[in-house]
Amino acid sequence: MRRMGALVVACAAAALAPWGAAAESTIRIGFPMPLSGPAAVYGVPVTKGAELAVADINAQGGVLGRKLELLERDSKANADEAVRLSRELILKNNADFLIGTLTSSEAPAVSTIAKENKIVFIAPTAKTIQLTGPANLHPYIFRLASNTDIEGRTGATLVARWKDVKRVATIAPDYAYGRDAVAAFIDFIKKARPDIEIVDQQWPKLGQSDFTPFINAQMGKRPDAVFCDVYGGDFVTLAKQAGPLGYFKAINYRLADGGEVGSVDEARALGADYPFGLWSDAYDPVVWSGDEPPEHKAFVEHLRAFTKDPYGSGWAIMGYSAVEALAAGMKKAGSTDSDKVSKALLGLTFDTPVGKRTFNTATHETDSGEFWGEMVKDEHYPFAIMKEPKYLAQGPLTN
Amino acid sequence: MPASFLFGQFLGGLTTAMFLFLIASGLSLVFGVMRVLNFAHGSFYMLGAYLAWQVVQWLTSSGYGFWIAVVAAAAGVAILGGVIERLLFRHLYGREELYQLLFTYALVLILGDAAKAIWGTQQLSVSRPAILAGGVEVFHTVLPFYNLFIMALGPAVAVGVWLVLTRSTAGRLVRAAALDREMLAVLGANVGVIYTGMFVASSFLAGLSGALVTPIQSIVPGMDVEIIVEAFIVVVIGGLGSFWGTFWGSVLYGQVLSFGILIFPSFSLFSVFALMAVILIIRPWGLFGRPVR
Repeated sequence: MRRMGALVVACAAAALAPWGAAAESTIRIGFPMPLSGPAAVYGVPVTKGAELAVADINAQGGVLGRKLELLERDSKANADEAVRLSRELILKNNADFLIGTLTSSEAPAVSTIAKENKIVFIAPTAKTIQLTGPANLHPYIFRLASNTDIEGRTGATLVARWKDVKRVATIAPDYAYGRDAVAAFIDFIKKARPDIEIVDQQWPKLGQSDFTPFINAQMGKRPDAVFCDVYGGDFVTLAKQAGPLGYFKAINYRLADGGEVGSVDEARALGADYPFGLWSDAYDPVVWSGDEPPEHKAFVEHLRAFTKDPYGSGWAIMGYSAVEALAAGMKKAGSTDSDKVSKALLGLTFDTPVGKRTFNTATHETDSGEFWGEMVKDEHYPFAIMKEPKYLAQGPLTN
Repeated sequence: MPASFLFGQFLGGLTTAMFLFLIASGLSLVFGVMRVLNFAHGSFYMLGAYLAWQVVQWLTSSGYGFWIAVVAAAAGVAILGGVIERLLFRHLYGREELYQLLFTYALVLILGDAAKAIWGTQQLSVSRPAILAGGVEVFHTVLPFYNLFIMALGPAVAVGVWLVLTRSTAGRLVRAAALDREMLAVLGANVGVIYTGMFVASSFLAGLSGALVTPIQSIVPGMDVEIIVEAFIVVVIGGLGSFWGTFWGSVLYGQVLSFGILIFPSFSLFSVFALMAVILIIRPWGLFGRPVR
């Protein structure tokens, strides 16, 4: 149905287009993304966001007089599969650009293909610092999300504000993402608050079905705050098991989760079982209590109508903004040639529903910070919402 | 290290163990009797979880909603299991294990996609039933009632299945089928019905455990594959085909995971895989299994 929807939009757009434009071929964006398996929980909303951006841009006549076409492929969150699809997209489907991959395992692998074929590749959500590290950086790779360093440091900034906290524990999934973010957290908190002691570290695997032993072990060390990087379905599981064990109460809800569990996705899944009072971040909290930027309000309404979902997802904004960034790059370059677009993207400032973002000329990453807030009950919603999302800018937190 | 801490860790391991046993018991039964390695057992478990969520949505106003959902989910999965056995599985008996594995793996993919088509990719969740929402403090460790319930249910299911297998006529036939199905057929027993019955029972246990896990876990695509690996580990540790082996295998798995975290906090997976490797080297047929001739 998703493909059908995109097809209908594309056909309708083609029918409406003036003759000259219709004769031109489309600008093809290869889009490998997990659409099945556990990662599809996020791969699907990121894809929806990208579809929305493509539909919006095409409705306004496309870019440089040409329509955009999204070539969606299911990467299954598997690096090998993502690489194979990316090759195929470039060589067989003549993709002009690549946007996509969800995880920190796929993105660096696809990045090598982009380098090999000299094709601009924008990774919307992969956070590992390795992706744009000095060893792996090349002219064609760009990253939209903040990296694991920023995630760990923004988390540390929050925890450092809890003045009476002395004993801090961490719990994060046992792979690059969790390890890197926790390392950044510890590095930063030790500088910010030398009086804080790290009393425990737990490393459950990704997809852990039972957190009870990890939670009991952590509670045994009596931390008074926790930095957590467990996310998605795993966070739902953790919250449901830790709540009845008295975990959140024991730390007085002083838990900062850097895994985007402050978005409406996890909040909806947990409903009244959400550990109200903890702090988390989100790419987009979606439900915005407090001063909501008008662009964000318009975007979310648009997204809800487009996806026919009453609430939307915090991940759609990443697919949406990645396409918008690429379109802005093409406009600035006045070309769809990857060499020209990659130069145009450096230092480019583009609009997103949550404010302007700029690609750093040295790191190829955006200056994106993170939205953090306390997750609270609200009478208007049957789930937790982020109280007055605060934007922690990257500025003071970069190296 | 305070004793209460070790006690809490022990209980945590026991909770893990009993959940795992509920899931692995059906897998163990089908292998023990039918010699089929059902890779799709985890998919039945996943369907149990999704069905339970669905029924809870329909019955939101009812106080017994959760329990009705558990029974309905287990029954629904049992029926599905019966249909799959009748139509598809029975062509595989006696074939090489490779064919069975390929076929059950195909089922995993089909059922996984079916669940995605019906329920989407969004993670889902079910709240604890109100009656078991609280907990009790024992020896400075909070013990949620729901965990206690599962800790009691695991051994109850184990003893129940064991009684049926050893004390009833049906159980005798099942054990006979496990030993020599041709001879049993010659003696006039309907082996086909016995096999279907076993598969239905195994699917029921899968659906039941899937439904019971919903209050403490998220329901997500991929939970099927995630759990089948752990279930296989405990079945292998205990000894393929040995029902009590699976029970004690689960207990051992839970405790090794629980205390392994204390000893090697950076390698939570290491301890259970090390356990499996050691057991497979010393006793390749598992703790309670018998060496294959």
